[in-house]
This record gives sequence, structure tokens and C-alpha cells, in this order.
Amino acid sequence: MLDLFLAQSAFPQAMGQGVLAHYLFVSAAMFTLGLVGFLTRRNLIIMFLCTEMMFQAAGIALVAFSRYHLNYDGQTFVIFVLTVAAAEAALALALVVFLFRKRDSLSAEAWLEMKG
Amino acid sequence: MTMFAGTLPTLLAAADGPFIATGSAPQWVALMPGLPLLGAALCVLFACLNVKSKLPGYATVALLAGGFVTALAAFLQGPDGYGVATIFRWIHASIGADADASITANFGFYMDGLSMLWMLFVTGLATVIGLYSTEYVASDKGLGYCRFFFAFNLFVFSMASLVMADNLLLLFLGWEGVGLCSYLLIGYFYKKPEAVAAAKKAFIINRIGDLGLLMAIGATFVVFGTLEFRPLFEMIAQGVDGKGQAIGHTWVVVVIPLLLTAGAFGKSAQLFFYVWLPDAMEGPTPVSALIHAATMVTAGVYLIARMFPLYAADDAMVALTVVAWCGAITAFWAATIEFAQYDIKRIMGYSTISQLGFMFAGLGLLGTTGAVFHVFTHAFFKATLFLCCGAVMHGFGGQLSLRRLSGVMWMKGFGITGVCMFIGCLSLSGVPFTAGFFSKDMILAQAFATPDEMIGGATFIGLLLLLTATMTAYYTFRVFFRVFVGPRHFEPGEDDHGHDDGLGHDAHAHHHHNPTEEEEGDALHTGFHPHAPGWAMNGAMVLLAVGTILVASLYFVNKKEDHGWAGTMVRHSTAAYPSPGLAHGKDKPAATTVEPLPLGAPAPEHGQAGKPHAKAGTFLGQDPFKIMYYVSAVLGLIGILAAAWFHAPKGAWGLGIGNRELPSKVRMDAVAARFGPIPKWAENKWYVDELYHAIIVKPLLVLSHVFHAFDKLVIDGLVDLVGALPRWLGTLLRPSQSGVLHGYATGMVAGSAVLIVLVVLVAMWS
Amino acid sequence: MDMIVHPALLFLALAIGGVGVALSIPRRRFQASLVGGIIAATGVGLLIVGLGGSALSGDGTLPSPVFHVLAIIALGSCLQVITHRRPVYAALYFILSILATAGLYILLAAEFMAFALVIIYAGAILITYLFVIMLASQSQVEGQEEGLAEYDAVGRGPITATVASFALLAALTVLVFSGLKDIPAPDAARVAAAEMAVLDRLPGKVEKALAREGLIESGEIVVGVEEAQGVATAVVRGIGGGQRRVALPESVSVTNTEGLAFNLLGDYPGTIEIAGVILLMAMLGAVVLARKFAQIDEEAKAAAAAALAEGSTTGGQGHA
Repeated sequence: MLDLFLAQSAFPQAMGQGVLAHYLFVSAAMFTLGLVGFLTRRNLIIMFLCTEMMFQAAGIALVAFSRYHLNYDGQTFVIFVLTVAAAEAALALALVVFLFRKRDSLSAEAWLEMKG
Repeated sequence: MTMFAGTLPTLLAAADGPFIATGSAPQWVALMPGLPLLGAALCVLFACLNVKSKLPGYATVALLAGGFVTALAAFLQGPDGYGVATIFRWIHASIGADADASITANFGFYMDGLSMLWMLFVTGLATVIGLYSTEYVASDKGLGYCRFFFAFNLFVFSMASLVMADNLLLLFLGWEGVGLCSYLLIGYFYKKPEAVAAAKKAFIINRIGDLGLLMAIGATFVVFGTLEFRPLFEMIAQGVDGKGQAIGHTWVVVVIPLLLTAGAFGKSAQLFFYVWLPDAMEGPTPVSALIHAATMVTAGVYLIARMFPLYAADDAMVALTVVAWCGAITAFWAATIEFAQYDIKRIMGYSTISQLGFMFAGLGLLGTTGAVFHVFTHAFFKATLFLCCGAVMHGFGGQLSLRRLSGVMWMKGFGITGVCMFIGCLSLSGVPFTAGFFSKDMILAQAFATPDEMIGGATFIGLLLLLTATMTAYYTFRVFFRVFVGPRHFEPGEDDHGHDDGLGHDAHAHHHHNPTEEEEGDALHTGFHPHAPGWAMNGAMVLLAVGTILVASLYFVNKKEDHGWAGTMVRHSTAAYPSPGLAHGKDKPAATTVEPLPLGAPAPEHGQAGKPHAKAGTFLGQDPFKIMYYVSAVLGLIGILAAAWFHAPKGAWGLGIGNRELPSKVRMDAVAARFGPIPKWAENKWYVDELYHAIIVKPLLVLSHVFHAFDKLVIDGLVDLVGALPRWLGTLLRPSQSGVLHGYATGMVAGSAVLIVLVVLVAMWS
Repeated sequence: MDMIVHPALLFLALAIGGVGVALSIPRRRFQASLVGGIIAATGVGLLIVGLGGSALSGDGTLPSPVFHVLAIIALGSCLQVITHRRPVYAALYFILSILATAGLYILLAAEFMAFALVIIYAGAILITYLFVIMLASQSQVEGQEEGLAEYDAVGRGPITATVASFALLAALTVLVFSGLKDIPAPDAARVAAAEMAVLDRLPGKVEKALAREGLIESGEIVVGVEEAQGVATAVVRGIGGGQRRVALPESVSVTNTEGLAFNLLGDYPGTIEIAGVILLMAMLGAVVLARKFAQIDEEAKAAAAAALAEGSTTGGQGHA
């Protein structure tokens, strides 16, 4: 019973395409939620948080494919995605702090220099 | 018809028809155009060095003299030196895929009798007139002086290129070059609006004629496949075109000559085109003498003489008839205008048009020898006359009106001018034993010798020319009797010095101190002293006057064989043609049966089938070439006597019949009053300029306004629309550039979605 | 187009999900978080039902029920992240979604990645976010609802954003669901060979396992793993020096961590170096950007230096 709950089928048994489809849907939905968040939220920090969410969605897809193909390359790639996400988080947060000091606001709409 | 250009005078004399120089000319003939080009370069250098002396002038004279010596040396070689001298390959291009379809135009010189004769007087007169100019434009020392001599040198170079060219393209280069220099020199006094307008007028009217020449060159290339003279004339001599087909009765021998004629008439100021030449007298007088009397305006005559085989290849002689009639009408027309002109320089200008008309009539009447000889003599006596007019103008502050000058010859320092003027006038009037007498007689006689069947209305042309000759004698001596003899009187012109427009006058300060002249001046102008010409101007005038006398003797050189030296030269050129009644060679008696078309292969034989024979005409039942001596002498004297009766002062110089006492009151005034407004019309040049203005310039102006409006409304409107469209679109799209990050991100997301959908759709379709 | 879910169902589910998400986004007047969440969950449920149906009719395998629980938690907390007005809560919900994602990783037999995710994301990155949120939060402004900044309280253009995003989602899912059948199944032989290559480099592990199973004597050494007659065998060297082959039992297999380690360090060593450089540069950049630019007065600095010099000279004199 526990087996049934913990894993669809034991590694290295192959995973069915139907199962892969579920994971890919979760990944796409999470990516879209991140996108909606990035487009609607005005707080710079939350916007960056949403980009992290999109990273995470990509990670789910990669790991699912890794499992489907019984290949570690997908997971390895997620490690690099994590690396880039960490680097991005560090820079982004530094930028946010920098911008906050300039305008005393976290609103993305405080910066309209590109207005046409 | 190929002939060896060697020392075979008898063989040459026996054959009439185009002479094609097949040998090679020495390379040093290139010095003739080369030295003036060097002179032009030197003048630029002098201008850069800011030379303020007469150095550019003297350098020019020295180089031009070098050119003249070269011409003499080439001349002394005789027919041995005739041929082609290729200096360098100029244009050589293949046209199309066909290997033998190519265009070749070398910078090469074609030396034969015609170009030799032209180069002799071009370089000779250029040298003498250059010497005259060193003094004439001396008030302008500095940049203007360099500019003058630069254009002067460039002109001689261009003229030499034109005359010596061995292909039509180089000829065209020279043709345009002389046009350019003419423009530059007419507009030399560029601060004077009339001079600038005259320069433009000359240039634009010449362009119209040049279009004809250009089209003729194009047509020649299309038909004959070459522009080089030697192969071209060999083909014409055989009566075939580049593809070996006969040209005798095709458009080729009518249209191309007519187009050439348009070019020639533009350059030589003939019918319809002549209006630029009188205005061109705004230029400095030496320029008028050299370019607009002696050399450049004869380029048209040269062109027709050079291409004469093509004209003569037409059995019907259409183009030559046109040339003859236009020449005669121009001669008469210009003479009528001169009757009522008072500006002595303009009178000389119209006289040039008239004399050029004589030359064209001579060419058209198949008398190439007479026409070419008249070019040669006219160059001398007309240059003399112009230089004398220039001396008067130079001396009296630009005064040119014959109503305001009298007795100039008796004023101190103007004696030489007067004598030279007298010699020139005699020659122009055709007084017996002067150069003009012999050369004009040949043309007049040719008019009667040429049968009407060959050139339609030749006899009428002859009568018209006889009348014109009489008028010429009248108006020539009208100037002489009124300006040079009689009571001393002058009113200085508005210019302190000639037409120099006050560009600088210090150079002439030394002329203004002669106290003896004060009494001669009008009381109104006590401050003005005429300044007599200096050594350079006097020297030049004397040289030319002596030359005018001497060239008359050329008529007797080779008289028996060739009807004068000019005949010898013409016989060794493409202009060689058995003029009716004037066949070359001892064994050919005058007034004999001639073949109008000596061209065609094989060599012509008498009585060849299909060639009409015409008997050379007569005048008063005699050989025209004999009786014309007496007729024209009588008519010339009548003209002179009429001038004396109407214009001459009392005394010996009035031949005893003159009665003029006041400078501006003459018998002619009473006669003119009887004619009502006609003299006024003549003075206004029959309103031809106004007519042209009304029928050509005005419509063009209106058209240009229409185009301007079109340009403003439609073209500019379109351009503005193109400019406004992005602005308008920008106004539409600008709100999308909110500057907010979200807007851009939304656009990016939507764009990605659209792209993916497109990819899916494309994948579904394929 | 042949899709594993009927297009009508897919687009209906996406539309319902989109409406739910759009409703949940905070607005000036109202925020229907709960209603929106339920609607969105309906859409997701609809689609998952459709997917499950197609999976059953296909190869007959379904994800475990744990997957469904974790997926609901992950997507629900993500919805909270993007709709919650308070940034701190948003960050905390994000941690929850990370935990759920880690669960999904475990279901996918990627234990190492699951723990790495929790440690790096939840433990490090999100904590940094929380720090910054607290650091940069605005001072309370009078009259504002519940002390929230206006940019937190009101979302921007929810409908536009949702439509654009769900259009993209529709395009993506259509692509995925129609192209899934073209993905080839893994090649068992290649997978087995790859596993044996890893085991070949882990003779100690094999030796221990074989010893535990009693398949080798103590003193015998496993020198390698190779295939023999279609079976994976361990090459065992005896005490006397003789070699024999022992078929590997089922229990001997490569763990996730081992496989990932060999893959990462064996196949991508250069990339690791580059990742290290990226992290270093990001750290430097962050330090430079976040540093407060102290406006040091040049004159004051010169005066201070002069005073210091003065002090040292006077000090010297004092000593003398």
C-alpha cells in the first residue's frame, strides 16, 4: 500500500506517458501562475519571487523528463538552474534594495523613465 | 580610296575625292595641344603662387609661340607628315558579348591638309592675340590675369584637340572644351550682369547644337561601328557602312549630315543659333578676336569640311543644299542688322556671322577650297579688326558707339590702330588684291559655277551673296569713315578701362599724363585722357595687319594646280572635292564636265552609269572664276562709295563726296527717316531675341512654374506624408510605451503565445 | 490534431482556471480569493480528470494519489503567492510550494534534488527574500487599508495579464499534449549499460552487497562489473589470484545520489566551474549594488589626514 502511495513504479522501471503528462501539466500551470503573478503584482520583490516560481516550474518539467528517460541529465540541469536562480536572487535583491533606497518604494511603477 | 601620302604630287593631283592620310604623323605634333595645356597648368600654379606680374601672360605667349613653331615644323614636312599620331590609348571598351563590337577612341591626332591649315592659323593667331592680351587685361593683374590666361590656354588646347582629333569622340571633347572656354571667357567680367547673361546664353544655345553633334556621333557609331576617322572615311569612300551595305541612298547620308549641321550651326552662330554671338561681345576684346571671330566659330566650318565625304555621298545633296541656303540667308540677315547697329564691336560680331554664312554657303555649294580659304583669310582680317576695335575701346573707357567717336586715327598714339583698321576694312570689303577679295570671290564664283541641278537655287544664292558683299563693304567702311577719320571727337565710355568694370586701374595711371590731348577732349570730360595702345597691342595689330596683307599672296601659290595654297591643303584632306568649274590638276581644264559623286568603289571612271553629269554653270556667259574678279570689285567699290557718301567726312578721306562735319550727324539719318520704323527694327535686331524669348523662354518658364507647383504639391506632399506617417503611427502606438515593466512583459508573453500558435498552425498545415 | 485530452475539455478547463486566477487577483474594491481559488481548482481538477482518463485508456498507468495531493498543494500555494496582499505571506506560501515540489521530486525518484531544493530554495533563497521584504518594507502610511502599500494591495491589469498568460499556457499545453506520444520510451539496454558503468566505478559498494548476500567469501575482492551472457556480473578476484564472475542480485542498484554525482561530476565538470564563477560574480555584484554609498568629503578626509600627521609629529616631539 505504501508502495502505491510513494511511487508509481520503482526506479528504474519506466514511467508511463500518461504520468509524464500529469507532471508536465503541473509544470505548465505553475509556470503560468508565475507569469500571471509577474504581470499583475507591482511589488518588485514579489515579481522576482514569481520569476523564481517559473524557475521551479521548469525544474519540475526537467526532473519529470529525467525520470521518464531514466537519465540524470535533467536533474543535473536543475542543479544549474538552481545555481542561476540563486545568483539571480542575489543580484535581484541587491537591485531591489538599491532601487528602494532611490525611491523609497518597492513599486515597479516608480520607474517610468522608459515612458514613450 | 587609299592613296600613299608621299611625294607623288602628280598622282595626287590627278585624283579628286577624299584624301585619306594613311601614314603616321610624328609624335611631336602633340606639342600643339600639349604646350597650351602646360600653359594652363602653369597659370594654375601662378594663381596658387599669387603672381601679380604679367608673367602668366608672357609664359602663355612663349608656349603658344612654341605651339606655332611646332605647327610650322609640321607644315614644312609637307604631305610626308600627314597621318595618324596616337599619343595614348584613351577609350577602348568592348560592347556586348560580341568580341569585335568595341569602341575605340584614342588620344590621337589625324594630320592632313585641313587640320594643318587650321592649326597654322589657330596657333599663330593665338600667339599674337595672346601678346595683345598681356596688355589688354593688364589692369586685372593677379588672380584675374591668371584666370584669363588659364582659360586662354585651355581654349587653344581644346581647339587643337578639336581640329587634330583622329576620332569623333576626341573631336567632341575639344568641341565641348572650346564651348566651356568660350563660356569662361565671355563671362570673364563676372561682376557685370550682361557678361554673365551673355555667357549663359552662349553656353545654352551651343548645347542645343551640341545635342545634334552628339546624336550624329552616336548615329555614326551605330552605322559605321567606329568613330575613328581613317576607317570611317575608308568606308565612306567605298560607299558602304560598317556591315558592308551601301549607304548611297539611305537615311545615313541625309540624317547624320543634318545632325552634324545642327552642331556646326550652333558653334558657328548660323541661322536660328546666331543670337549668342553678338552678345558674346561682352567678353574681353582679345577673346572676341580669337574665339568669336577667328577660331572657335570656324569649328563648324571645320566639322563640315572634315565630314564632307559623308555630305557628298548623297546624290540629292540634301544636307549641302540646306547648308548653302542657311549660310546665304544668315549672311544676308546679319548684314541687314548691321546697317542699323552703332556699337562697333557688335557690328564686327554681326559681320563675323555674315562672313561665316559665306563660308557655309561656300561649303554647301561644293566649293570647299573657297570656304576653307575664306576661313583662313577671315581669321586674319577679322582678328585685325577686332583688335583695332579693342584698342579703341581700351583707349576710350569702353566707348564703342560710332555716334560718339570720330577722327580717332588722328589722335596721338592711335595712328597705327587706324592704319591697321584700314587694312582690315579693305580686306573685309573685298577690295581687289586683298585677302578677303580672293577668298570671297571663290565662294561667289562657286555659286554661279555650281549647277542648279546639283544644289537647288545656287544661282539665287550667288545673287544674294553678291548683294551681301556689297552691303558688307558699306557697313565696314561706315565704321571706318565715322570712327577713324573726320573731326576729332570723343566721349569716354562708362568704364574707366574697357569693359574691365573697375577691377583695377592702377596699371594705366601712366597713360594719363599727356597734356597735348586735352584740347582734343570734350569739355565735358576734361578729366579723361584717352590712353593709346602700348607696344604689345600695337605690335599684335601690326603683325596681324601685315599677315592680312600677306595671306592674299597665298592665292597665287600653286595657282595653276590647285587654285591657291588653300586648294593644295584641301586636296590633301577629306574635304577634297572636285568643285564644279574648279577641278584640281593641270590637265583638268576649268569649267568642264564633273562627276558630282566621285565616291564609290572602284575608282571613278568617266561616264559611269547612273551618275548624272552636269555642266558647270557660267556667270554673264563667262567662267565665273574669271569674271567674278571684276564684278565683286565693282560691287565692293559701290559699297565703299555709298559709305563715303552717307558717312564720310569732308576732305580726302571722304573721297571728295563726304560731307560729315559733326560726329553724329550724317546723310544717312535723312534716308533712315524715310523708312519709318524699319531702321529701328533693324537696330533692335529684328526682335529675334524677343521672339525667342516669347516662343521658347516664356513657355519654358511657364512650364517650370508648373513643374515647381507639381513638385511643391505632389512630390513634397508625398515626402511630407512619408514623414508624417510614422509620426501619426507613433501617436497611435505611444500609449503602449508606458514605461511600466508589466506592459512590456505582457507584450512579450502575448507575442510568445502568438508565435507558438503560429508554429502550431504551420505544423498542422504541413 | 491528435491530443491526449480532448481540445474542448482542455480549453474549457483552461478558461475556468483563468477565470479563477483572474478573480483571485487583488483589486481595489474586492478580492475573491476563496471563490477564485475554488474555481481555479475546478479547472485544474477537470483537466486532471481528463488526463487520468486518457492515461488509463492509454498505457494504463496513473500517478499515485500522493501526486494529486502534492500537485494541489503546490498549485494552491503558488496561487496564494501571486494573490496574497502581504509580501511576507507570499514568501511563506512560496516555501510551502517548494516543499510540495520537493515531494513531487521524491515521487519522481529524485531524492537528492528534492533535498537540494528544500535546502537551497526554502532554506537559503527564500529566507533572503524574507529578510529583504522586512528590510525594505515601507513605513506605515496613514489611511491605507490595513497598513498595506498601495502597490501590494492592488494588482495591475489582472484580466490582460491572465488572458495573455493563459493564451501562452494553452499554446504550451496543446503542444505538449499533442507531441507527447512522439517521445520515445527509454532504451532499457542503454539504461542498464549506464547503470553498470556506474557500478563498475563502485566496486566497494558491490563487494559489500555481495558479502551481505553471502555470494562472496571474505577476502575476495570485486574488481569490476561487466556484462556476461546478457547478465550483469561482478568480476571477483579470489585470494589465490583467480577470477570468477558473480551475477549481481536485484538488490544491487545505483542510488539517485550516486547516479547524479557521477553524471554531474563526470560529464559536466567545466559547467560546474562556470556555475561557480557565476555565483562569485553574483556575490560581488550584490555586494557592490547593495552597498550604501558613503559620501566621504574629500576635504574632511584631507583634514583628518593632516590632523593625524600633526598628531604623530607632536607625539614624536612629546616623546623627545
